[in-house]
Amino acid sequence: MKRLFAVALGILTAIGGFVDIGDLVTNAVVGSRFGLGLAWVTVLGVVGICLYANMSGRVAAVSGRATFEIIRERLGARAGMANLAASFLINLMTMTAEIGGVALVFQLVTGIDPLLWVPLAAFGVWIVVWRAKFSALENATGLLGLSLIVFAVAVFLLQPDWGHLGMQLIPRIPESESGSTYWYYAIALFGAAMTPYEVFFFSSGGIEEGWTVKDLGQTRANVLVGFPLGGILSIAIAACATLVLLPQAIDVTSLSQVVLPVVQAGGTIAFGFVVVGIAAATFGAALETTLSSGYTLAQYFGWSWGKFRRPARAARFHLIMLIGLVIAVLVLLTGVDPIAVTEFSVVFSAIALPLTYIPILIVANDRQYMGRHVNGKLVNALGLVFLVVIVAASVAAIPLMIITGAGQ
Amino acid sequence: MIPRPHPEPGRLVDAEFQVLDRQVLDRNGEPVVTVDDVEITDIPRGVELDPDADAPVIENLLSGSAVLGTRLFGGRPPESRWQRIRWSHVTEIGTAVELNTTADRLDASWTERWVRNHLIGRIPGGRHAPD
Repeated sequence: MKRLFAVALGILTAIGGFVDIGDLVTNAVVGSRFGLGLAWVTVLGVVGICLYANMSGRVAAVSGRATFEIIRERLGARAGMANLAASFLINLMTMTAEIGGVALVFQLVTGIDPLLWVPLAAFGVWIVVWRAKFSALENATGLLGLSLIVFAVAVFLLQPDWGHLGMQLIPRIPESESGSTYWYYAIALFGAAMTPYEVFFFSSGGIEEGWTVKDLGQTRANVLVGFPLGGILSIAIAACATLVLLPQAIDVTSLSQVVLPVVQAGGTIAFGFVVVGIAAATFGAALETTLSSGYTLAQYFGWSWGKFRRPARAARFHLIMLIGLVIAVLVLLTGVDPIAVTEFSVVFSAIALPLTYIPILIVANDRQYMGRHVNGKLVNALGLVFLVVIVAASVAAIPLMIITGAGQ
Repeated sequence: MIPRPHPEPGRLVDAEFQVLDRQVLDRNGEPVVTVDDVEITDIPRGVELDPDADAPVIENLLSGSAVLGTRLFGGRPPESRWQRIRWSHVTEIGTAVELNTTADRLDASWTERWVRNHLIGRIPGGRHAPD
């Protein structure tokens, strides 16, 4: 019974934890411009993150080594440092976007300028990272994030023409859009679904919670059930935008457009749910990215890290997270639009994907680390297919960003 | 190179693949540092290597910003900037290098102690376990 409860809890938090500000904004933007014609990318991204999150979790459980220790060990000091610099900066960008997202939710509810909420949101993140138990922070934000199911409910309440909506799932480029914007947003969606911090967080979280080979079944269930259900939420967000925003040609420039379809469908109660859901999802992701900033740096340099230690026993790890939060606040206080930061962060995440995923694939095949738990043939075949997709997306991202003027 | 019995007891390791850039853990499993470099017994310079000579022995694990800096950008830091962990502390080389001593007794973790004593340990709650 206890075991079953643990599995259910793990799956539920994986669903609630899957969606972050990147998924919210990108899916709404894509739905409002392309309908469901890019939903296949979300499906692809979910398969990819399932595959690689599972792999990194297995490496962590079997070898006891988290992702960035492995990156340094395999790539060496120099290439590892280049990887660290890129990964850390992009994670910092995602972290800024998530904290900005928390501030935007509070603005939505109170009407008070988000700039006032930014320091409060960051302080809230810091207090939780400083004092809360790892499992508590995971479970609370994950479960509250389940309120986002209201997006799926809203799709039904909007009483769409299902045949028409189903036809939209066929990949095609709308007449109002060019091929390059279509592929630019395909990469953005892919980056949003496969964000590298999820892997840093997942593998380091496995060590925080003391996973061993015995826990492999449970972590696999969390990933293979939780993430696809989270992916369905992502598609529901895009479907809501398709039904309400696309016909009226409403641009997504703030969170109010993201929640508009839900409010139109379910009124005040739905608004309550969506606000709680977005607040929990962005706050949860802000915690995960903040921890990831500490994880990546500490693991490269070999410092003591982890929430399971007292802060004084992982001093530099906590110092890095504090500095990261201060930088994120300073960036947001310049008045930069958090939605714009989010849109860039998902594309840069896509660019950085090979940096994280190639070393994981290599180590998951290393018997010295993995013993008999090395990748099977099927996982390797899928892993290689995805590697090709990941590298193609990474290479195409910057040229497409320039050609389209970042999706204009 | 075929290993020959070494006059000192020990284990043959590939320093580059098994030691370099590995995580170092202390007796309690607490991370200390990553191996930035190793110090080995002198190999005579400028003369042809004697194939019958004993294989060099790792004397110390090295770390520190100067050591890592030269790994990244080349060059050789002065010995005063090397932070050494004596090889005799090493008990196990697996996916990590394990030591028989605690992190707090090693020079290699002085920055951790400095940050603890001057910054993180002074913030309320910094020395308590999370609730």
